[in-house]
Amino acid sequence: MILVREIRKSFARVRAVRGISFTVEPGEIVGLLGPNGAGKSTTMRIITGFLRPDEGSVEIDGHDTHSDSLAARRRIGYLPESAPLYPEMSVAGYLDHRARLFGMDRAARGRAIGTAMERCHIAEVARRRVGQLSKGYRQRVGLAASMLHDPPVLILDEPSNGLDPSQIRQTRSLVRELAEDRTMIVSSHILPEVERLATRLVVIAGGQVRADGQLDDLLAKHGTRQIVIEIEPEPGRERSSSTGNVMGLLRSIAGVTEVTTAHTPDGWLAVTLSVDPSTSDPRPEIARRLASSGHTLRELREARPTLERVFVDLVESPALEGVATA
Amino acid sequence: MTAILTIARRELASMFRLPVGWVVVALFLVLTASVVALSIQPGAPASLRGFFTISAWLLMPVAPAVSMRLLAEEHRTGTDEVLLTSPVSALGVVLGKFLGAWLFLVCMLVPTLVYPVLLFAISDPAPDLGPMVSGYLLLLLQGTLYLAIGTAVSSMTSNQTLAYLATLFPILALLLAGSLATQSLPELLRPVHEAAQIGRRGSDFARGIIDTGHVVFFVAVSAWCLALAHASLEWRRWR
Repeated sequence: MILVREIRKSFARVRAVRGISFTVEPGEIVGLLGPNGAGKSTTMRIITGFLRPDEGSVEIDGHDTHSDSLAARRRIGYLPESAPLYPEMSVAGYLDHRARLFGMDRAARGRAIGTAMERCHIAEVARRRVGQLSKGYRQRVGLAASMLHDPPVLILDEPSNGLDPSQIRQTRSLVRELAEDRTMIVSSHILPEVERLATRLVVIAGGQVRADGQLDDLLAKHGTRQIVIEIEPEPGRERSSSTGNVMGLLRSIAGVTEVTTAHTPDGWLAVTLSVDPSTSDPRPEIARRLASSGHTLRELREARPTLERVFVDLVESPALEGVATA
Repeated sequence: MTAILTIARRELASMFRLPVGWVVVALFLVLTASVVALSIQPGAPASLRGFFTISAWLLMPVAPAVSMRLLAEEHRTGTDEVLLTSPVSALGVVLGKFLGAWLFLVCMLVPTLVYPVLLFAISDPAPDLGPMVSGYLLLLLQGTLYLAIGTAVSSMTSNQTLAYLATLFPILALLLAGSLATQSLPELLRPVHEAAQIGRRGSDFARGIIDTGHVVFFVAVSAWCLALAHASLEWRRWR
């Protein structure tokens, strides 16, 4: 379990982290989301004990990362951003070095290195020097090193950073596999990546938590509700006049806050309505109004809000002093 | 302790994995072997005085070359983030790094033991053993001090060139301290100046005298430098 309590951290005049708190329960995979410079990496460095917070505290399975630092660090497997490794060492030599740092004996080291290399698919490069490996392999070596001591907590900072789509897919499946019996924090600014991995999201921007909750809750709470309609063009009327007529009709429906229009390649009018989430479903009323005015519909559906839209709304909203939760 | 030895082991191995480690050892051995060969004169008493003098001066550029990458390289490449989030204290990291560099120094000196063996084999009467033992002890103590200064400097920067130069200057200051008249200094600095003259301490070792005070000086200043390196690593956590 990870307990982050009101941590703050400044670098010179830059307030990188401004009172971040959250808890990660055992078995949970939390995606730490935020734009570049949001404070994700600083937060992770504080959680792992690499940096001390100016204020606040972090506990890993009940061990404070400051006052009981070594015990806390024994429980963490950490992959920093860009997976820093020693380029002059062989892959097997590097993993052996890391296992020794965690005080593992010879037999345990042999078993752990074998398992980690197998799970991360790096056995074929075991004898190669780390500096000769591709970015994808180096990332996997970093991942293998982070899991050697079988930590209950894994913290991965941008694990798919700089990888090609195929490597991203492999890394994602490996991370999902590793997450089966661990508490995990994964940071990324690649939204689909986090969306596929995490069971819960914490959105950070400007050094503050902007939202914290499960994906569906965040989408329901922060996502704009949208209705998509496709309407047949009115025969004998000009396109602009017909569009204006439809827009006027739809704007008058209770709860509709915004109407945008476009035309499909086959000439049908595609309308997207933004709807106040507090109002009841306006689709029956829309159907009734359009039918009574003689319009033919071929589509009327509620569009699921995307994480990207929610993310942009959250990070672009003005800075908050408090903590927002879903 | 295991973690310290693990870090030292990696450090020592990495020096021999890089060409620079072999080049340093080779240059040191070629230069010292030349000095020993030239100092053997028929009829003259056999001694390693020339070897110890040149070695003491060679340590000045060699020790910073060994120590400059110890922590600066970790800061530059970001591997310090992995190291300092492992279950090893910052002091353990400093001691492990220093020990690795110190073992490299020992590896560099071990082949030179062939010189005294050679002298004992070819010289009659046999050379005096005392100055040889004290000479090697002085080299180890000087090397320890220089590497400790280098470790402290390396902990404060991520630039290896800067680490090299910033280590070289204090070493040079210690070596040249004896040439500065104590009377020309403010009274407050005179005891420090007296103590810092490692050339004066070295001349005692050259005569075969092992003064505990000198040994304590080298060990204490080295320990102080390592404590400084530890403080510097801890400060980085708070920066």
